Order: sequence, then C-alpha cells, then structure tokens
Amino acid sequence: METEIIYSPSRQAEEIPSLLSTVQSRVVGFDVIHTPSSENSISQVPENRSATENLTPEHSKFYHHERTTSISMPSSPSMLYLQEQGTNPSIPNGTPPISYFGLPPRKSNEEKFDPNKKARFHSHPMGSNQKSSNTVEGFDGLATQHKLRRSDGLRDNRYDPFKTWSGKLERQISNLRRKPLELPENVYSETPQTARVPKVDRFFDALEGPELDRLKEFEELVLPEDKKWPFLLRFPVSTFGICLGMSSQAILWKTLATSPPVEFLHVPLLVNLVLWCISISVLAIMAVIYLFKIIFYFEAVRREYHHPIRVNFFFAPWIACLFLAIGLPPGIAQNLPQFLWYILMTPFLCLELKIYGQWMSGGQRRLSKVANSTNHLSVVGNFVGALLGASMGLKEGPLFFYAVGMAHYIVLFVTLYQRLPTNETLPKELHPVFFLFVAAPSVACMAWAKISGEFGFGSRIAYFIALFLYASLAVRINFFRGFRFSLTWWAYTFPMTGAAIATVRYCIEVSTVFTKSLSVVLSLISTLIVAVLLVSTMIHAWVLQDLFPNDISIAITHHLPKSRTQDVDVTDVELGDSEESK
Amino acid sequence: METDSQKQNEKPHQSNNSTDLQIMKRDCLNKETTSRLSLLTKFHAGYFRISFALCGQALLWKTLRELSTDARALRPFVHILPSTAFILLWSLAFLSFLTLCLLYIARCLTRFESVRAEFQHHVGMNYLFAPWIAGLLLLQSTPFLGPPNRAYILLWWILSLPIIALDIKIYGQWFTRGKKFLSMVANPTSHLSVIGNLVATRAAAEMGGKEIALCLFSLGMVHYVVLFVTLYQRFLGSNSLPVMLRPVFFLFFAAPSMASLAWRSIVSSFDTACKMLFFLSLFLFASLVSRPTLFKRSMRKFSVAWWAYSFPLTVLALAATEYAQENE
Repeated sequence: METEIIYSPSRQAEEIPSLLSTVQSRVVGFDVIHTPSSENSISQVPENRSATENLTPEHSKFYHHERTTSISMPSSPSMLYLQEQGTNPSIPNGTPPISYFGLPPRKSNEEKFDPNKKARFHSHPMGSNQKSSNTVEGFDGLATQHKLRRSDGLRDNRYDPFKTWSGKLERQISNLRRKPLELPENVYSETPQTARVPKVDRFFDALEGPELDRLKEFEELVLPEDKKWPFLLRFPVSTFGICLGMSSQAILWKTLATSPPVEFLHVPLLVNLVLWCISISVLAIMAVIYLFKIIFYFEAVRREYHHPIRVNFFFAPWIACLFLAIGLPPGIAQNLPQFLWYILMTPFLCLELKIYGQWMSGGQRRLSKVANSTNHLSVVGNFVGALLGASMGLKEGPLFFYAVGMAHYIVLFVTLYQRLPTNETLPKELHPVFFLFVAAPSVACMAWAKISGEFGFGSRIAYFIALFLYASLAVRINFFRGFRFSLTWWAYTFPMTGAAIATVRYCIEVSTVFTKSLSVVLSLISTLIVAVLLVSTMIHAWVLQDLFPNDISIAITHHLPKSRTQDVDVTDVELGDSEESK
Repeated sequence: METDSQKQNEKPHQSNNSTDLQIMKRDCLNKETTSRLSLLTKFHAGYFRISFALCGQALLWKTLRELSTDARALRPFVHILPSTAFILLWSLAFLSFLTLCLLYIARCLTRFESVRAEFQHHVGMNYLFAPWIAGLLLLQSTPFLGPPNRAYILLWWILSLPIIALDIKIYGQWFTRGKKFLSMVANPTSHLSVIGNLVATRAAAEMGGKEIALCLFSLGMVHYVVLFVTLYQRFLGSNSLPVMLRPVFFLFFAAPSMASLAWRSIVSSFDTACKMLFFLSLFLFASLVSRPTLFKRSMRKFSVAWWAYSFPLTVLALAATEYAQENE
C-alpha cells in the first residue's frame, strides 16, 4: 500500500487552502500532510534537493492522484488554465479547489495509472524553499504548481512520467551542473514491482489501424493532445525503417554494379558508395538520437517496447547494421573480420530469444493474439544474419540462424495466413505493411544460396514464393491508395529491394531475356519508390514540418476513460501473466 | 498429488472424481490394509517420467562409452564411465520401468475407470505413449542385446506396434473428433507422440529397417510441424496446462533433438538437416532457460513433474555429442 504524501507545493509563501486540508484528511484517512508546517516538520531534506526538484510534485501530481475519485470538479477551467500557463508559469494566486483537483474528470480516474511507478513509491522529504520533493501522484494542483513555479521551472512537467525515473535523471543532471557536491537521493528507492505499462489488450482497445497508430474515438491520451511534445518523445523507433530502406538500396546498387548478367547497364560502383555513406550516417544519427531517448525518456521507450507493432522495429537497427555490412563498398574493405559477425548478431540473438519466448509462453502476448505482418521484421533478421555470415565464410553460425529463422517463419506464416479470429491486428484492407511478406522468402533464398554454395532447389523454391507474393500484392496496387504518409513506410521498401536483389541473383543462374528484364524492372520499381519516399520525407520535414507528429500510440491511458462506463480489463487474470517476463 | 488432483478436477467424468474421493476416504480410515490401494489411486501415467529420465540417461551413458575415438575432445569422456556403473544404471532403469509397468497394470485392473478418465484428459492421453517410449529407450541402451539379435527385433516390434496404433488413434482425433481438435487439446505434452515416433525411428534404423524408420520419421515430422505451429500460436493461452506441469515445457526442445538423432541414424551422418534441427533445439533450450519465472511457480513444491526436466536435457546432450563427433 503506497503511502503517498500528498501535499501542495511547499512554498513558504503559499498557504494551503483550508478546503484542501479538510478534504484530504477526511477522504484519505492516511497520512496526508499538506500544511507547510507539517511539511517542514517531516522534511529531512537533503541539501541536494535543488530548486528544480520543486517540479516533482507538480508533474507527479499531474499524472496520478489517488483520491480524486471522490471529488469531481469541473475540469475545463483548469485545463484552459493549464494551456494558458504553458511552460512559463507565473506566480499567481489561483483558485485552489479547482486547481487542486484541476483535472478533467477523465484524468481523475487515472488513480491506478502511473506510467512510471517509480514515482508512486517514492517519498521524498519535502524541501523547504520550493523544494517539494515527492512523488505524489495526481493531476492535482498542476495549475497551482504552474502558478507557483519559479523561473527555474521553465520545463513542462507533463512529460515527466515518460522520462527516465520520472524526470529525476534530468534533475540530477541539472543538479550536477549547478551543485556538484550534491549526492543523488533515493533514486533507486522506488523501483516498481511491476512495470506500469498498459497491457497488450489496452493497445488493441485504444488504437486502430494496421500500424496501431490511430486513436479510437472516446480514447484519450495522457499527454496533451494539442501541444507539440518534446522532440525525443515524438521520435519513434520505427524511424529506423529509413536506415533499412537506404541500406538495402546500397546493397541493390552494389549487386547491380557487380553482377555479370546486368553489366549491360554499366552501373558505377560510385552509386553504392554514395548510398552506403548516406546510410551509415543516417543510422549513426538515428542511433544517437534514440540513445538520448533511452537515456532521457526511458519510460516512453518501454511503452514502445510493449506496443505490439513497435516492438518489431527494435530489430530494425540491427538489421540495418547487417545490411550495411553486406553492402559494404568494395572500395572501403574487401573482407570483414569474422568476429564482427558475432558482435553484430549477439544483440539480435538476445532480442529474439526474448520475443520468441514471449510468443511461446507469454500469457497476454501470445502469437495467436498479437501476430501481425510487422512480425516479419523479427524473422527476417535471422536470414540476413545467415546471409552475412555465409558470405564471410562462416559455416555453423549461419546455419543456426537459418534454422531458427525458418522454424519461426513457418509458424508466423501459417498464423498470418490463418487470420485467426483472435487476431485483431491484421488490417482488413490492404496496406503497404503487407509487403513485408515478400521480405523473408527473398532473403532466405539468397541466404540458402550462400550457405549451400549454389542456387539450388531450396533457394529457387524460396525465390518463387517471394515472386508470387510480390506479384499478388503488385496487382492489387489499386488498393494501396489513400494512406497517410508515415515514416514507417520506409521499412516496407526493403522487401521490394530484397526481391530485386534476389532476382538479380537468380538472373546469374538462369540468364534469359525475361529474367534480365525482370531484374531491371524490379530494381527500377524499388529505386523509384525509395526516391518518392525520400522526396515525401523532405517535403514533410521542411515544407509541412510534420515529419514527427505526436506519437500517440505510446500515450494511451491504462484504463478506459471514465466517460466509457464499461468495465476494463486491467487485472492480471491470466495464469501466465505473473510469470511472463516483459 | 497436486498434479493428479488437478487432473482429476479437469476430468469430464465427475463420477470418477467422487469414486476416487470415496476411495481416498476409505483409505484414510484403514491405513495399513489400504495403503497399497491408496498408492494405486495416487499413481498416474505421469510417473513414467521417472523411467524416461533413467532410460534416457542409460542411453546417454551407452553412447558416451561407445564414442569412436576419432573425437579428440570427447576421448576423456569415453574412459571415465566404468562399465559397472553403466550396468548399474541400466539395471536401475530396467527395475524402475518394470515397477512402473506393474503398478500401472495393477491400476488398470483395479481402477479402470480412473485410467480411462485419465486418458480422456488432454494431458493424460499423451502419456499413453510413455511406457512404449521408455521401453524402446531401454532396448536401445541394453548392454547385452545388440541390433542383429532376433530378440532385439522382436522386442522392437512388440514396443512399436502400440505406438503406431496410438498414432492412428490420436493423430486422427486431432483433425476429426470435435472435442479433441488439435487447437483445443494442444499442449507441450503432445510432443510425446512425436517423440515416440522418433524414438522408434532411431531404434528401427539401428537394426537396419530403413524403410520402416523413414515411414515413422515422416509421420512424426509432419505432425511435429503442425504441433509446433499450433503450440507457438498458443490459441488457448495459459489455460491448457496447470502450473505444476510447467516442467513439461522442456519437451519443446526434446522433439527437435530427437528428430536430429533420428535423421542421423537414417542417413548415417550428421548432415545439414540434423544440424539445423539441433540448432533449433538449442535455441529453444536457450529460450526456455532464460525465462526462469516461467518455472518459478512449479518449483515451489516437489512433484513428479520435476522428472520432466531430465529426459529432454538428456536427448539434447545426445544430439550435442553426435554433433561434436561429426565436427571432429
């Protein structure tokens, strides 16, 4: 049982409204201390509490309040008030009752909701001078906090639950910058027992669309919908799809430049070099940005990990690294050292042990429920790793990944083809995500050719399957219209590039006019699509300035908003849940 | 006990539940005279895991002792196992097998209703294969009976025919009988039917019956593919297996290891397909071992289900031995 200490901001100049004190003690029954005097009495404030820590109650209150269910107050004035306040709160004398319970009724039901449970258990002693450290949850008093915030508090605290340690890391860093002698205080004390991330069912209930990125009606977000969130919060992991698209293009142009059957095209190796350099720089930039996101917004990253579609994009950076190694321009290095393969595959192996294990034994994340086309990303990496290892000369390692990939690909393929009624994520209409179906067979065909040393029957079977799937999707091109552009589309280009590369490889074996023209056509298609995507990305980035919209998929609430009166599924009823490792 | 009582709770026949409860009540009153009766009540086919484990171990020791000395790395192992220890182990395995068989026959004779109810259960029905698999393992590891021996062939037929008959019954049920569709009854113990086929394959290949071996192998593998996909989909979620039976998850990697061994005995060398099956098994093993929370609840109290850990690990070790031998 958490013993939160709820209090209003401890400004010495501030007086706790009498309403609040009476209400609190009546309602709660446990130690609610919110008078400045008692605050001071209980405060064993360590000196390290800096001025920035006064922000803790504000944001923590903002996001969680245990007691608001008993009191419902009009929300809109304070919401309006909040928006007016923005990030530059003045010091007002507000209307305490409204501001204390100042959140919309929907938020008042977030009592159990705490995206960062660390905030929940933490009980800082209170600072004296604006040092109100504590993890009181609740949206209460946000307006008050905003009002009372000093100029130090230019940060917007509404995003703190998504930050690492609910914003404490940021404060630590700013602490370190200002007062180097201060020690971190109790930053590990509030490790939650269970991660307070919405369950899988919640993602399915609240979101819709083939990428589960559109909010359903009646659903609300825990972050302000009308403001632009911090950039790092808007940077989804699916952006790594750009690296996938670019690096597979590099491989394509390298293949076109070096394969005998297509020598009539006279493709220079320079194209490969340029594309490769662009890809590696893009990957490096994105890796750095995402690293910052992990450092500063770990909770947001965790939510992305629990999203049934986004989790597959965690494989994307590693696959991009593998692509870069495969598409290495001959001018830079001819042979890569073998230990590099082990280095590249180790994080991939750990990730897939985790994800496939969840499929097998997870309670809420079982495959019949969460299977979707994006799962192909988790499987295709095995084949890419096998291809790279075999081209480096390794024998057993590539075979290992090929076997694992093949077994799980069969499972996934059957599951997706079945379109089980329990499966909610497959879109009823066509969507570019379906192109991921083409990825696995085309890469598997090349991988098997490299492993066995020849383009034998196994490879040809895989190649023909890939070709068939490509054709069956391409003839339905009419149905691919009318979709919003999003960065995830980059990830859907690499299967087409892969099919083109496989066709060139097939062309080496069976060199007829038909195969040559097919390879040229497929390469042109994939390059054209990548070019179009590149132009669209540029337009959205600089002209329309909406390349990174608010990432609503990670900001869904734990429960249905109170306006929906149905019961929500939040209890761990499934047997496997407690044993399921996230 | 918990497993048994859980199984009983899930039985479709309520009458058996009450029958057994009555028996147990009576047992409590007359302890001495009915002690054996209560033993039979508590006994169920899951106890055959014990003989699986021991027979598997005997087979492993035999394989290790008979390694060809080309395997440089394994040469030390060849000599550390004295033959007397092996004979003792084999005798222990044989005795346990015999005891369990006798107990189970006694149970069939006296408690036929509960036996029947047990085999209607989706977990219990897979343990129908258990005695035959254990017998085949024992046969393969016999120190004094080699493949060319006629007794060996006879024993093989005696032990394999029931497996084939059970195949027809259970695999047929998977896609024809409404209540027993695979999607409804699939659980990790279903691997036992596949393992039964594969063990029979290996024994057959070693005695020279290549066609029979291939037939059983294809039968086992086809159903393994279907089972593998179904289990991964986890249509039923966690409801298909009681918590105490979590150790049977280890059967996930027992099947591909056994398949790898079976294929190796058919083609007489550890070729690519064997390697791929072995690697798959290794991966599944790593995947299960890195999820200790899955087994935490089943480890709180000792139960005979713990014996289920042993056989898959033994089979994996066997496959690894063959792989190491090949790579030398």
